[in-house]
Amino acid sequence: MANDLSPTDLSAVRRPLPQAQGLPNAHYTDPAVFEEEKHALLFSQWAGLAVGADVPQPGDAKPISFLGVPLLLLRDKQGQVRVFQNICRHRGMILVEEPRKIEGAIRCPYHSWCYSTEGRLVSTPHVGGPGQNLHPGIDRSTLGLIEVRSHIWRDVVFVNISGEAPDFEVMHADLIARWAEFEQPLFHGGADSRFELAVKTNWKLAVENYCESYHLPWVHPGLNSYSRLEDHYHIEQPGAYSGQGTLVYRQLTGDDGQTFPDFKGLGEKWNEGAEYVSLFPNVLFAVQRDHCYAILLEPRGLDETVEHIHIYYPSADTDPALRRKNTELWKGVFIEDIGVVEGMQRGRHAPGFDGGRFSPAMDGPTHLFHDWVAAQVEAARARSA
Amino acid sequence: MKGLDARLLAAHEAGDKSALVTLYQQAAKEAETEDAAGFFLVHAYVFALESGHRDAPALRRRLVALKREE
Ligand code: FES
Ligand SMILES: [Fe+2]
Repeated sequence: MANDLSPTDLSAVRRPLPQAQGLPNAHYTDPAVFEEEKHALLFSQWAGLAVGADVPQPGDAKPISFLGVPLLLLRDKQGQVRVFQNICRHRGMILVEEPRKIEGAIRCPYHSWCYSTEGRLVSTPHVGGPGQNLHPGIDRSTLGLIEVRSHIWRDVVFVNISGEAPDFEVMHADLIARWAEFEQPLFHGGADSRFELAVKTNWKLAVENYCESYHLPWVHPGLNSYSRLEDHYHIEQPGAYSGQGTLVYRQLTGDDGQTFPDFKGLGEKWNEGAEYVSLFPNVLFAVQRDHCYAILLEPRGLDETVEHIHIYYPSADTDPALRRKNTELWKGVFIEDIGVVEGMQRGRHAPGFDGGRFSPAMDGPTHLFHDWVAAQVEAARARSA
Repeated sequence: MKGLDARLLAAHEAGDKSALVTLYQQAAKEAETEDAAGFFLVHAYVFALESGHRDAPALRRRLVALKREE
């Protein structure tokens, strides 16, 4: 059990890979540790919240509850995506209940204070008495919506709830540089290129499973024929991300031999290369010559995670049938993973499980994530000590 | 023709912002005191603001002139 008095022992996790153990059970089963990790791993980091494609037009608004925090994703009238706390500065009422378009201003449903899409408080009806919208005690310039620090990369809207993380571009400079060639317009494939999977597992197990290629021939035998284990390599950037690359990526072809267009100007390496990276804490990315995807892991609870999958193409104009085929292909792969991430979650209830022993050859990327988790949790404990 | 009150209620019921802007302006016009008119103008303005109605800027100017808005 972990609580304020007896924090989990992470020393075995911090050992070098050949001697290390995985994270203790409590990190998957104990509500107190979930609460501790919520702050250390999600609120103090840059966590993936949504995608820009969720709010395609100026004025589009989408309320999102992130680990219980009521947020509002909004594309302002200028076209900039912003994230606010979804509450009124008057009595803390929830402002927007359903995804919708803000035509003019956001009007609070309680006493009708109005906010611009940039978050400015623009009117305070009857605040000085009936028919009087002014009062010397109400300084609108100090009562705008509370904006949450956000950053968009590869269309993913990242938020830093604590407001204290280093800038996203500083924190993730390495992956940004690694994939600089893919820094070009991404076109969300639309309704046929997004889906959700609800999984009964702790979100971290989905990260861990995504990092590694060890399971591919067993869990995804269908992938095996064109993606053998020895054609994969580890991707390891301590403190930021880990994953796997393949040397034998093959483009999807349609029934009539059609393919998706390629991203422009990619180097040779990407003709048959592709990379799959877990960007800590909760976003799983893929880059390939002809399409990319992002999976946002939404932690709903200790053993409840929703995977939000979004597939992107190099062009706004791609073949719908081929797109659907591609979505079905990936959905099949991700569904194959559900059994193992749910099984590992149930396995974490075995008393005395020591976190498991890693394959020194194959589990480097997984251990790298565990080590990151342990380091963040220890740092948070040190801060609060 | 239904009375103004009934039409206002119906517009609230239907969430018809454009009708609310019009009807509250009419209520302001028919009001007997400046305070009562101000009250209705505030409502017309708020619904205009919310819905991006073309009358919003003019309503705001009127309220500002009455020192009821900034
Ligand atoms: S709570 Fe929003 S206006 Fe009162
Ligand atoms: Fe997998």
